[in-house]
Amino acid sequence: MTFTISAPPHRKSKITFKTIMWSKVLALVPVSLVSVYFFGLPALSIILAGILAAVVTEAGIQKMFRHKITINDGNAVLIGLMLSLIMPPEAPIWLPVVGSFFAISIGKHAFGGIGSYVFNPVLAAWIFISSAWPQLMTPLSIPHVGQLSDFLLENGAGLLVDVSPIALIGGVYLIYKRYVEWKVPLAFFLTMVLFPQTLNVLFAAVELVRAGVLNPLMYLSLMFKFLEISNELSYSMIGVVFFGILFIATDTPTSPVTKRGRLIYGIVCGILVSIYGYFGNYMAGIFYGLFMANCVSSFIETTTLPAAFGSEGMIGKFYRRFMDKVPSSLKMGVLSND
Amino acid sequence: MESKRLSKLPEKVIIPLKQHKGMPCVPMVKKGDSVVIGQKIGDCKDNNDSSVHSSVCGEVLSIEMAPHPEGNKVLSVIIKTIESDQTVEFTPTKDPSPHDLIELIKNSGIVEHYGVPTQSVLKPDGKNINTVLINATSSEWIGGKFSTPEEYGTQMLEALKLLMKAAGASKGAIVLRSDDAESIAAFSGIRFEGKQLEVAPLIGSRKIGYYLKDQGSDIVVVSQKRIYGKRILNFFTYNVTGKKVPVGCTPADVGVAICGVKSAKALYDAVYQGKPYYETVISLEGLAHCPPQVLVRIGTPFKDVIEACGGYPSESGKLIANGMRTGVAQYTDEVPVTKTTTRISFQKPEDVSKDEAIACIHCAACVDVCPVELVPSRLAVLADQGRFDECRKMHIENCIECGKCAVICPSKIHILQLIRYAKDAVEMAYEDIPAKESSNLKLGCACGGE
Ligand code: SF4
Ligand code: SF4
Repeated sequence: MTFTISAPPHRKSKITFKTIMWSKVLALVPVSLVSVYFFGLPALSIILAGILAAVVTEAGIQKMFRHKITINDGNAVLIGLMLSLIMPPEAPIWLPVVGSFFAISIGKHAFGGIGSYVFNPVLAAWIFISSAWPQLMTPLSIPHVGQLSDFLLENGAGLLVDVSPIALIGGVYLIYKRYVEWKVPLAFFLTMVLFPQTLNVLFAAVELVRAGVLNPLMYLSLMFKFLEISNELSYSMIGVVFFGILFIATDTPTSPVTKRGRLIYGIVCGILVSIYGYFGNYMAGIFYGLFMANCVSSFIETTTLPAAFGSEGMIGKFYRRFMDKVPSSLKMGVLSND
Repeated sequence: MESKRLSKLPEKVIIPLKQHKGMPCVPMVKKGDSVVIGQKIGDCKDNNDSSVHSSVCGEVLSIEMAPHPEGNKVLSVIIKTIESDQTVEFTPTKDPSPHDLIELIKNSGIVEHYGVPTQSVLKPDGKNINTVLINATSSEWIGGKFSTPEEYGTQMLEALKLLMKAAGASKGAIVLRSDDAESIAAFSGIRFEGKQLEVAPLIGSRKIGYYLKDQGSDIVVVSQKRIYGKRILNFFTYNVTGKKVPVGCTPADVGVAICGVKSAKALYDAVYQGKPYYETVISLEGLAHCPPQVLVRIGTPFKDVIEACGGYPSESGKLIANGMRTGVAQYTDEVPVTKTTTRISFQKPEDVSKDEAIACIHCAACVDVCPVELVPSRLAVLADQGRFDECRKMHIENCIECGKCAVICPSKIHILQLIRYAKDAVEMAYEDIPAKESSNLKLGCACGGE
């Protein structure tokens, strides 16, 4: 009888880095298929070129530096696929190749590989190629959700990923299955929705003040403005934004780990993207916004490290301070738990 | 349902003279002596030790260092068994005084499952206990020597009263697991002190203090989520009573004593039947024909337990004492069942996890599962780099060593191991933390030390 010995725990969960990566790839398959159906062969060749370039680059770099070759874990495939999906279909075939090469070599490995990179490689590569070849990277059209069917198939799609927001539903499934955590995408999405609505209300209020309205009821009725779907939303709820929320923002190395930090990060992403999108367009906005959010992510993490369990939160401290000031004769039934 | 006794008497038993944290007992027998069931074979010297008793009839083969499931070798009495049920005379105690009870606990060798002798939990030197908790969150009633649920309920309440009396505590509580419907049903059925018992859930700020007041009684039965881990006591105390135990202190410092179902039952038996603690119920997992629980004599080698349960299902594998999450993998099956053994598990080679650790991907899964609000990923990195001061600033002492972080980690980083390493270093380096009694880890200094 031979016994294995090792430190506890002796049973671990089946979810590994590899399964997470491949399941993300799988979640992107539907939207890739729709884009091939819609744009035809160019889309297919862009996707294949992007993935192939990413895998070859990864293997090459790891071979060169005598590292373990990790193309099996799916990370390179995912990066290549994600990058191809944010290309316009008219892009020449070498563009995704250059992009994938940049993403893997500079975006990922130059920063120290998995877990160490500061900027999401896909974002970094997008920014690189769209500043180097802006005319090639600018899509012919920027989508705009006119009716509900646009969620199913977007005729004005400018990027591969724009073709069908609904095909990205796989990302939601991953969150539901806990392969991907939920705090960042949820906070991000809610901020994206609430931001334009709040602006709506604000603008209406400014309008009223300008007009010199004094009736408080008029101001109160502004509340209803909040529920009115603003125009802005039809520009922001497009495929590439959902892609950003579900796949780029949830790329874990570039988001904080603390519980509070993730909520804040989601909100910061939302605000940055909304501001950018408001003044520019949401297609570029989502990338630049996320890129900037990446910059502050580690700052958010270090400032939100949790206190020891059982220590009082802000409200508790405030309450305690308040109760200390109240003279004891006024306190009724404040239990002392001895 | 009562657990079955192990069908076969082992050929020899190995009874470690140290089944608690503290000093080993002084052997009271010598080679060649014959012993009977229940005979005291190891005597304790002070309050923090616990005596041991023979669990079989037979002849002492030797007294030597033998492997112990905790990993080190321990002085043990090895007894060759003979088929006989002869016991020493068991005399129940009538109306014991608190002092009698403490002496009885000491002489019956009752030890908590976390290794501290019960009498020093109840009467710690220089500290007063005012609340006694029975942690019944991890053992289901079936796991005990009880024939019906009602018996479990009533005996536990009786035992709690005894424990409170021994400790001189005024309040007591039994803590159940909120998803363990069987136990909850067992308790909610009984009438206690003329009232129908109700199992109250611990939610938010409603700790036992609230229920004690609310129900106007000294004893309450409450339920909460399951907590497990190697160092749960402080967290458990906080969860149940709301009292925060300062770093480096034990629950006794805030007047709380935590006992387990097994030791409570052992005290009950000691008082009402006069039996010392020489048998225990353990759970089994992964063996060929394995009943969920068996009653075994303390000192039975794992090998005999496994043989009696159909043997190993495969040629090799991993043998684990005490659970998949925190248990210790054994290098031999010649180790005995001790008072702190709760479970024997066996893993087939294909189930043994062999994942390779890769870099942390900051997925935050470990942060979400940690019950005490730590950031395990950061602690693991800091521990790996030897930045122990920073670990301490991040409250590493709060870690209850539940291992959830290491289980969930998709990068398969050995977070728990790293955290333990850092905890040991912190404990050795800071004076305000009492040194742990033993540790398998030796912290080497890089410049030629150990
Ligand atoms: S750090 Fe890990 S082992 Fe420690 S309490 Fe948190 S989850 Fe459990
Ligand atoms: S679970 Fe593992 S990979 Fe994820 S943050 Fe924690 S240590 Fe890092």
